Amino acid sequence: MKHLPPHLQRRSFLKLGIGAAVVLAVAGGAVALIKPGLVNGRLSPSARLLMARVGQAMLQGTLPADALEQQRAIDAVLQRTDDFTSGLPEHVQAELSQLLGLLATAAGRRGIVGLSASWEDATVAETGAALQSMRASGTELRIQAYQGLHDIVFVPYFSGEESWKTIGYPGPRAV
Amino acid sequence: MTNIIDPIAAGLQRGWKVLGGKHGALPERITCDVAIIGSGAGAGITAELLTKAGLNVVIVEEGQLKSSTDFKQKEPEAYASLYQENAGRKTKDKGITILQGRSVGGTTTVNWTSSFHTPPDTLKFWQDKFGLKDYTTETLAPYFQQAQTRLNISPWATAPNENNELLRRGAAKLGIKAEVIPRNVKGCYNLGSCGMGCPTNAKQSMLVTTIPFALDHGATLLVETRAEKLVIEGGRVTAMQCIAVKPNAAPVESGKIATTIVAKHFVLAGGAINSPALLMRSKAPDPHKRLGTRTFLHPVAITTAVMKDTVAAWTGAPQSIYSDHFLHTQPVDGPIGFKLEVAPLHPVFFGANLPGFGEKQAELFRQYPHANVMLALMRDGFHEQSVGGTVELRDDGSPLLDYPISDYVLDGARRSMLTMAQIQFEAGATMVYPGHELAGGTSTWAATKAAIEALPMKPLLTKIGSAHVMGGCGLGGDDKLGVTRPDGVHWQLENLSIHDGSLFPTSIGANPQLSIYGNVNRLAQGLAKRLSGKDVLLA
Repeated sequence: MKHLPPHLQRRSFLKLGIGAAVVLAVAGGAVALIKPGLVNGRLSPSARLLMARVGQAMLQGTLPADALEQQRAIDAVLQRTDDFTSGLPEHVQAELSQLLGLLATAAGRRGIVGLSASWEDATVAETGAALQSMRASGTELRIQAYQGLHDIVFVPYFSGEESWKTIGYPGPRAV
Repeated sequence: MTNIIDPIAAGLQRGWKVLGGKHGALPERITCDVAIIGSGAGAGITAELLTKAGLNVVIVEEGQLKSSTDFKQKEPEAYASLYQENAGRKTKDKGITILQGRSVGGTTTVNWTSSFHTPPDTLKFWQDKFGLKDYTTETLAPYFQQAQTRLNISPWATAPNENNELLRRGAAKLGIKAEVIPRNVKGCYNLGSCGMGCPTNAKQSMLVTTIPFALDHGATLLVETRAEKLVIEGGRVTAMQCIAVKPNAAPVESGKIATTIVAKHFVLAGGAINSPALLMRSKAPDPHKRLGTRTFLHPVAITTAVMKDTVAAWTGAPQSIYSDHFLHTQPVDGPIGFKLEVAPLHPVFFGANLPGFGEKQAELFRQYPHANVMLALMRDGFHEQSVGGTVELRDDGSPLLDYPISDYVLDGARRSMLTMAQIQFEAGATMVYPGHELAGGTSTWAATKAAIEALPMKPLLTKIGSAHVMGGCGLGGDDKLGVTRPDGVHWQLENLSIHDGSLFPTSIGANPQLSIYGNVNRLAQGLAKRLSGKDVLLA
């Protein structure tokens, strides 16, 4: 493990809550390429790209259809993802950081998400199909990873008051 | 905003002794008669009784002091400031998400106000299996009655909202009895926002009842302060080391003890999961390896229905109708029984808890005003295949619950989903979505029944939640059966009492707040008498 960058040499990496042994097996020699997915509790650039793709696929049909408006909506969700993750307990941030870091690598993307195209090139349909395969997977790690992504898309999305109109929530009653 | 008086702001104005966070730095050392860890159901009742007996009390709360002025009925703020781990505390394999409170008032600040007695068959099981001879409905009755009086608990007299009414209507068509839930409210506005902190102070949580009483009677409250370690010498707790924490529970200054509390007696009431964790961090004696084991969750299975008519499940008392048909018509130690209730639905709770994504999910989201989520709270801890979970510590000392979901529990998930779906169709559902990653929506009872019967019931695939955490410092009639003596004192530490939901040797089989109030009321009266010589009553 000597070749690991310092942030990955911590013993906590080996105790990755989402299934360390599988992560290491999947990532194999690519472990050295993993960069933290969260920096100061916020999405790193590679995690941001990944989460933009995942968000587009998961919120398909809920986000505005117009491309420009959709981009704005995704940007707003990512901003709230930052707000959400930066307020999480440190151990949750550490796990998410490892998960997003791993999924941003080619090995993690192929092995865990099941997506061949790069995050940059993946279409909404390809990403959606990969997420669906994680969701229905018999592998604990893939389901855990899917559900982790689901949380950090839907909690931030519905934390935004613009979602209220989409679903027909009138907002709190004044007292 | 109308003229709602914030009792916390008013108390602070009157000169309550509150320290920690923005309320002021902690002194290096504090001496008192009794230090209470936590400020939730068990802590609040204990604090009121001990201060009534004239004892000098210090209450230590890890979360923040928030009150009606802060409660804006908005989920993101509430989840971040009032819940453990931002309302996303998960079991070790991530199979169960746990809603547990974390602010002054503990879970009572954010619960949905359902107030039930400890069921007689639960107490009978404790008597028979855990040697708790004095835990009978009759001996506990006066203590429950006082708690009901003190906290204004009575069956909800207003008409249930449609979300609850449909449970009654659907169940009635199947010959299943459903009844009205008693609630701890006074002058309730029927807003439906209980889970985000009551903005009108109608909910008689510890935040607005016992904690203010204790502060008015000289207690000191430390907030944003975590009880990190008990110092144990010669079978006694001699002191408690506390650290200052940030809103996300991270230490303000790593490794720095913010205050040391020296007390004659300590009362541990940080709630299940947290209370055993403090004892573990403190290396408390545990000769029979009971500590942290038998932690129960009432694992909850769900089905979501789209109803023909508008439900508006966000408005009105969140829980006002329940059915115990599947608890009390069968043996307590047979296949797992379950209590039926419904959940209030606000956008984040609805959007994050429903499995699935994409176009199909978007369709369901648009049906939100018509949605009903039914809950089956499974009664864990009464069967050899239902031993609950075990609390562990992470490297940083924070607790983690390992709760493997057994086939016994998963069998209950399937049976309860079938029941709930049938009730929902009887009540007028047009679609039902079982809480399972592989389930789609189905539009008839026959199709839904076939779908649920075919689903592989496995952890993670089957969506399981929890809002009730119990056990881990269980009561036992002898030291081999539990961590805690029947009088609430730790079996090996003579000046430490445990007064919270972690006492329960099984799950309760009902929303546990009143069980904590009633049982702790008796324990705290006994403790007050032993420490002060005085007889005190809650009401």
